[in-house]
Amino acid sequence: MTPVKTTSAKQRRARIAARSNGAYHATGIAVSLFFLAPFVIAFLASFRHGAEAGLPPLPPWPTNGFSLDAYRLLDGFGAGIWQHMLNSLLVSLATVVLTVIVSLLAGYGFSRYRFPLKNMLFVLIIATLMIPFQSILTPLFIILAKLGLNNSLLGLTLVYVTLQLPFSVFMMRNAFDAVPKEIEEAARIDGARDLGLLVRVLLPLVLPGVATVAIFAFLNAWNEFLAALILLSSNEKYTLPVLMMAVRAGRLGAVNWGAVQAGVAVMTIPCLIVFLLLQRYYMRGLMAGAVK
Amino acid sequence: MTISGSNALLPRRRRSRRTGLRGLVYIAPAMALVVAFFVVPVIFTGWMSLHNWPLMGGTRWIGFKNYVRMFHDARFMSALQFTAYYTVIVTIAIFTVAFPLAIFVEKQRRFVGAYRTIIFLPVVVGLATASLLWVWLANVDSGFIGPALRALGWVDKSPNLLATFDSAFLTIIVMVVWKIAGFTMIILLTGLQAIPSELTEAARIDGAGRWQRFRYLTLPLMRKTIALALIISVTGSILAFDQFYIMTSGGPQNRMISVVYYIFNQSFVSFNLGYGAALSIALLAILVAISIVQLWLLRVREEKP
Amino acid sequence: MIKRLLSATSIAVLCLASSASAAEKVEMWVRTGVGDAFKKTVEAYNSSHENQVAMTEVPFSELVQKYATSIAGGQAPDALSMDLIYNPAFAAAGQLEDLTDWAKSLPYFNSLSPSHVKLGTYQDRIYGLPLSVETSVFAWNKDLYKKAGLDPEKAPSSWDEITANAEKIRALGDDTYGFYFSGGGCGGCMIFTFTPLVWGSGADILSADGKTATLDTPQMRKAVDIYRTMVKKDLVPAGAASDNGANFLSFTNGKIGQQSLGAFAIGSLVTEHPEINFGVTLIPGATGGTSSFAGGDNFVITKGTPKIAAVKEFLEYIYSEDGQKIMAKYGSLPTRGDIADKVLDGLDPRLQVGIQAISVAKTPYTLQFNDLINSANGPWATFTSAAIFGDDEDGAFASAQGEMQSIIDSGQ
Repeated sequence: MTPVKTTSAKQRRARIAARSNGAYHATGIAVSLFFLAPFVIAFLASFRHGAEAGLPPLPPWPTNGFSLDAYRLLDGFGAGIWQHMLNSLLVSLATVVLTVIVSLLAGYGFSRYRFPLKNMLFVLIIATLMIPFQSILTPLFIILAKLGLNNSLLGLTLVYVTLQLPFSVFMMRNAFDAVPKEIEEAARIDGARDLGLLVRVLLPLVLPGVATVAIFAFLNAWNEFLAALILLSSNEKYTLPVLMMAVRAGRLGAVNWGAVQAGVAVMTIPCLIVFLLLQRYYMRGLMAGAVK
Repeated sequence: MTISGSNALLPRRRRSRRTGLRGLVYIAPAMALVVAFFVVPVIFTGWMSLHNWPLMGGTRWIGFKNYVRMFHDARFMSALQFTAYYTVIVTIAIFTVAFPLAIFVEKQRRFVGAYRTIIFLPVVVGLATASLLWVWLANVDSGFIGPALRALGWVDKSPNLLATFDSAFLTIIVMVVWKIAGFTMIILLTGLQAIPSELTEAARIDGAGRWQRFRYLTLPLMRKTIALALIISVTGSILAFDQFYIMTSGGPQNRMISVVYYIFNQSFVSFNLGYGAALSIALLAILVAISIVQLWLLRVREEKP
Repeated sequence: MIKRLLSATSIAVLCLASSASAAEKVEMWVRTGVGDAFKKTVEAYNSSHENQVAMTEVPFSELVQKYATSIAGGQAPDALSMDLIYNPAFAAAGQLEDLTDWAKSLPYFNSLSPSHVKLGTYQDRIYGLPLSVETSVFAWNKDLYKKAGLDPEKAPSSWDEITANAEKIRALGDDTYGFYFSGGGCGGCMIFTFTPLVWGSGADILSADGKTATLDTPQMRKAVDIYRTMVKKDLVPAGAASDNGANFLSFTNGKIGQQSLGAFAIGSLVTEHPEINFGVTLIPGATGGTSSFAGGDNFVITKGTPKIAAVKEFLEYIYSEDGQKIMAKYGSLPTRGDIADKVLDGLDPRLQVGIQAISVAKTPYTLQFNDLINSANGPWATFTSAAIFGDDEDGAFASAQGEMQSIIDSGQ
């Protein structure tokens, strides 16, 4: 190609714009590399042969052919990877469902009704954010045991739902606040009442908020490890993060980095999928929360 | 008050009481959970803090001795100090990365959505998982960072990043920035987008430079958003635990014990549940104080039109 | 073979589940990393007995707190394989079943590993009995010795010799190192492999009554100096400085010339890493002598469990010749001295060194083992890391000595 020399102002402006555009995307790509690289390196490295697991990932991709050794090894920890993944899924999905139901009701209550001690109760829910829950684990354990919910996925789920409530109730109250009262009154005149009104008329309007609450609940329940470790006590009930701690602790005096890579992949991929599928809601919810 | 006035109020009050009860019904499930799994455990923690409460064996009432002990506990003081140090450094680091990123992804250009998504990706993985991933990346023999530096010829020997305080601290800061910056970026982005573009345009026409516009227009208008992002970052950092527990086990030479880590150690390693409870209550007090500042900042915001 | 055994086990379990409802199911916890020895014993027991044992592996760093928490919540397992050093503390707290009378009625009681029984005893009552014996020994890689021009069959007998050998092995190249230890705040690893240097020379880190910390002795200074020198001379991989115990058995990668490790590792090296050609000997003291740490697990029973008869039956099975043989086959030393020879017959001769070590071995008896020694954030772990890798050796001695004493005093 021959460089076209030109003095036209329009073209010069276009060239400057193109150059700044180029610089912009060069920066963008560099930044993206930093944020993506750890994932990519770990995912690629997890497909190396077992014998290579202890070598540095240079290059990260498998050079001796694709292998599932690392995943097989991971499967050898605890009660097998599928069992733990099932547990994690059960707990996470149950947390999502319960969190959505409870915070939908509470958000509606706080947004639309007046009752005694309303502000105090709201602050009380928000205050749950402030205590490091590591420090109330022992009382929690004893209470769950008294309720007969120790070493049960349901007990763990209830604790997770409680931990999710401050954010979720706050979020849902704001979502309901944003719905014009007129809509509700019009629906009332049409004969909608209570739960029917909430589910049929208002739910579609606060759906983005619900999606946000659901995603946060899923991610947090999926990723939590300390409560799971203390509150569950049998192999077949452990969730994935507890398995990951066993992997980190090593076996027979050696950490198998292949199992670590495979574990990181297993832990992160569901989170990334959920996020990528629903990111529109997630971002919108986050932003709405920030503006309010 | 006149009699007619109270007459007029009567039916309304009855209705409001009825709806009041209904409101309570709506929030009942949430309250039940919060009472069972938060209020009761916290009260129980407070009760424990007044006892010598080993995990096993008998408990003994000792009044406020645990709280007195706290002030003479050099390890607790150094945990507080370390936590404060970490909070300041990590918050500065997050903001220095997140603010430019927010500006970077603010304008609608091609691929900007993709950049936002990519930068945000690490936010959605767990801190424990992220720590595990970075333990591997920072490993001296089998990791990525050290061997890569060596392969590039920048160092003769792959450095053990987690062996000295400074390099381990730096590694953790980089990990946390990688994990959290996207979150802070999105919050700041919200604030940036809320600034009416006519304002910036007008300032530009008036001849304000880029830095001037940022300093005298953007920053003041974003004060509330910055306050929110700051509070989230500070609260999160004060409660930091996973990264130190998983990445360095509190090392090198025990110099990375955060307050929550110390509470965890007192409660679950030394089994001084009573003392651990007292420390928790102290931490709660610190966080409440910070939250009061938060509420104050938010109130300032609401008063503005 | 193993598959067949497994399927036989599962069939047996199915039959039992459907027919015999009277059978007890014993819940038992073990720490991860005990490896196959115990798992195989449980499998063998389950397939030959009506009562069943359900074993749960708990990450080793969290086992004690998890057990203690579950006791507080009244939800503890029936039995536990407990690191024997924790035994006094749990016994003192009154959480364990008193086994004195039953234990003394066992015909082989007097030949059970004495240091285990000692640690299992509190105020003359027995609360724990040996499950696995673990002694620390010194291992060297014969192939690397040969490559470095050393006599592969000659066991080093002093630390001067070990250091000199390490230098020759390090000279082989890039990623071959002369020595290894988990120095990144792993109190358990260091008490296991490093204190024998001090014990062998006749000193100790605690006074005999356990009430005074005696860390700062010439022998300890010498021992620290030996390790410091090797680190300074780059004979130890850089990873050692931050290894919290997870990579304790780095010896298995074949690039470490010498390392102190557990007799337990002999078994796993033989079965899992047949490619490593190694020798073992007793750990030399810093200024002469030899010593070892007698560790391992005690079998304890949670106080008040209704299934005590079934638990005892299982423990008797472990002590039977069959049980001992399975344990030994997968790397755990016999706990019964009277049949040790019979059990080890036909197994790797190097396991004998592990048995010899029992006679020179020590175990500190303290109720505060966790706070003093084992905790990654306790004074011992901090001391070993700071004294060996840090810049301020004297400061490390002074602060650890002070902190240990204050922990001991606060427990009185």
